[in-house]
Amino acid sequence: MTTLRTEKTDVLIIGAGGAGLFAALHAHAANPDLDITVAVKGLLGKSGCTRMVQGGYNAALSAGDSIERHFMDTIVGGKWLPRQDLAWRLVNGAVERIRELENELGCFFDRNPDGTLHQKAFAGQSFDRTVHKGDLTGIEIVNRLAEQVWARPIRRMEEHRALALIPATDGEGVAGVLFTDMRSGEFVLVRAKAVLMGAGGGPTMYRYHTPSGDKSCDGMAMALRAGLSLRDMEMVQFHPTGLLAGPDTRMTGTVLEEGLRGSGGYLLNGAGDRFMFDYHEHGERATRDIVSRAIYQEMRDGRTTPLGGVYIEMKHLGREFVAQKFKGMVTRCADCGFDLAGGRVEVVPTAHYMMGGVEFEEDCSTALPGLFVAGEDAGGVHGANRLGGNGVANSTVYGGIAGDEMAVALSDGGSFRNPDMALVERAVAAALRPFGRRADGLYDLRERLDDLMWDKVGIIREAADMMAALTELDDMMAALQEIGVSGGTREFNLTWHDWLNLENLLLVSKCIAVAALAREDSRGAHYRSDFPETGPLEDSAFTAVSMAIEGEMKLEMKPVHFTIVAPGDSLIEGEAGAPPEMA
Amino acid sequence: MSPDAGIEVRIWRGGAQGRYETFRAPRRENQTVLDIVTWIQREADPTLAYRFACRVGVCGSCAMTVNGKPRWTCRTHVSKVASGGRLTIAPLRNLTVIKDLACEMTPFFEKWRRARGRFEAAISRDDPLVPVSPESPERRAADAAIECINCAVCHAACDVVAWRGDYLGPAALNRAWAAWNDVRDGDRTAVLAAAGAEAGCGNCHSHQSCAEHCPVGINPTRSIAGLKRAGLAALLRGAL
Repeated sequence: MTTLRTEKTDVLIIGAGGAGLFAALHAHAANPDLDITVAVKGLLGKSGCTRMVQGGYNAALSAGDSIERHFMDTIVGGKWLPRQDLAWRLVNGAVERIRELENELGCFFDRNPDGTLHQKAFAGQSFDRTVHKGDLTGIEIVNRLAEQVWARPIRRMEEHRALALIPATDGEGVAGVLFTDMRSGEFVLVRAKAVLMGAGGGPTMYRYHTPSGDKSCDGMAMALRAGLSLRDMEMVQFHPTGLLAGPDTRMTGTVLEEGLRGSGGYLLNGAGDRFMFDYHEHGERATRDIVSRAIYQEMRDGRTTPLGGVYIEMKHLGREFVAQKFKGMVTRCADCGFDLAGGRVEVVPTAHYMMGGVEFEEDCSTALPGLFVAGEDAGGVHGANRLGGNGVANSTVYGGIAGDEMAVALSDGGSFRNPDMALVERAVAAALRPFGRRADGLYDLRERLDDLMWDKVGIIREAADMMAALTELDDMMAALQEIGVSGGTREFNLTWHDWLNLENLLLVSKCIAVAALAREDSRGAHYRSDFPETGPLEDSAFTAVSMAIEGEMKLEMKPVHFTIVAPGDSLIEGEAGAPPEMA
Repeated sequence: MSPDAGIEVRIWRGGAQGRYETFRAPRRENQTVLDIVTWIQREADPTLAYRFACRVGVCGSCAMTVNGKPRWTCRTHVSKVASGGRLTIAPLRNLTVIKDLACEMTPFFEKWRRARGRFEAAISRDDPLVPVSPESPERRAADAAIECINCAVCHAACDVVAWRGDYLGPAALNRAWAAWNDVRDGDRTAVLAAAGAEAGCGNCHSHQSCAEHCPVGINPTRSIAGLKRAGLAALLRGAL
């Protein structure tokens, strides 16, 4: 019998990125008597994706800009698929959140020479509203948040991996979360009155991907197993320019930021020719989805660089200008052996962000009482495409709301639900499955998944490929169940966690493929070569996938309700999503 | 070194008590020290423990001692550090080893807190942002210190930390210096009191080892010297 330690806390937060840390600070501010615990797969403030934010944070703070304008850019960018009340709350909350980050938490964002806040242009937006700190905005945000959490009586469970959401015996809500302490391998059941899932998404099931190495869609996989519905899962954003450094290096796939193209960088195919104007009138400055598809097409047609991608070239802008303006990117490339300012660097589109996630309400509640969700685990804010700068806004706005709302939910003291111990035992047994089996082929299987999703459920999709992928995903899940982890120990065993990561990625990959097969149109991040048209926007519907029995996905198409603005109408003058006109 | 010859890698195994084990890993043209460690865990010994997250020098999780020097392994190209075709990889100095290459970081973050390495609010979210000239001397000083990724490389490089375990150390004091220079902070004097406490900035010997090893080019020695000066000035003013 495996031993199980049990702990209790009022508020349990899974994840320590923008969503988790904001939730902890807000819940504590709302009620300092609450016992709050932040559990995270890595170290608090040092893992996950908020920290990796380069570009910045969209907020309608300037005279001349407006909430309505930010909202319209978000809706048009999301191809009319966002849930409008959620997008509205996002753009409103972003303004307050920036002031909170600066005035209360100590972030310092870049200023104009006169001392006012600098806001830069970002693709798909009709106003220059992106607040930033150089090209490494996430470090500033997460470091300041982590410091504030360290200074408060908030419990930390670092290097604790969440394995399963544990419902109450009567099924009437969430009773707690089963973890494993990754250092000792011990199993820990944390009972809580309210749980926030802010574990982050991260489409790392693609051959090229940007997110932090710890990301494996754990939150979404746990939500599926708990019976929750995930919307918009076919919407996987690819960033056009990930570093391509060859096999067996963790550098491959990491982002070279959007501003490189925005400020005039060239993309060249293997023959050294610019190709973007063959695909779109905006050339390299077209939006992420268009540039990613164009690069992918060049790759399919074989016009590639030695490692199989395309080049980005900046030198015509002047070596010194590039080195100064993109210091972070240039030094990163130099450390890895590449000369971004003066040479050519091989790049490839890279899976970046999941617009989809758990269906949730404006107060971050879900269909499972007691469970809240925020950040990339939550779906519906971005629709078919996320604007650069709306990701960190989403995690911090909704993380703060979740903290407030969990405190409200416990304002009568709240209560602990009785955990379903049969499900705890089943989850422990499932996690222990690889021990004692023959260790062979784990990383080969992981590469097979990466290749499958890239080739068949990636940037350009069609029905036959995705049907084949669904069959293959089932085969891979069956294969994984027979693969073991050697060494026997559960203490700080990364290979065991790689096994658990792969299991979650396989499950969520299937969810993506099911949703992508069902959406028979093309919009935003989702492109079907067999259904290239978007179709009438007023008939827009979103996908919702749930799982009643392990591995069996149920899909629904649900109509989008245009509660604030309908296709054809607008809340602003001028064209939403188009670059601001030069004065 | 040809890619085929491979590379000999000695890696620390165990906790505080342990030993080096030797592995042989293939060489690639584009390969970081973290890639070598990853290859060994995946292909040679699945029980090897280490820590990493972002893989691009943002999170500061993967610092280790590489051929005797503390470094961020995700941004350290093998060709720049492999001496004689060999690598020796050990956990960071001045922290307790959990297992193999992973250290307990809690004391490091606790020092950050003790040094008042954080912002104290003077106003709230209901107020407009404070205009601050990016060219003002305070802001330039804060900017020079603020992009720390808390990787603990400087803490491992510091001899004073090695001699005196409770010394706040370069990272925490560097953060305190940025806080002292933040004109928006509501209680800057408290920073000088915390940073100037018994285990604080007065212990620095200005060896510059922190500045020499900082992967993002910060100079904590200079920050600590600034704290010493500011503390003395405050003392003379009677503010401390």
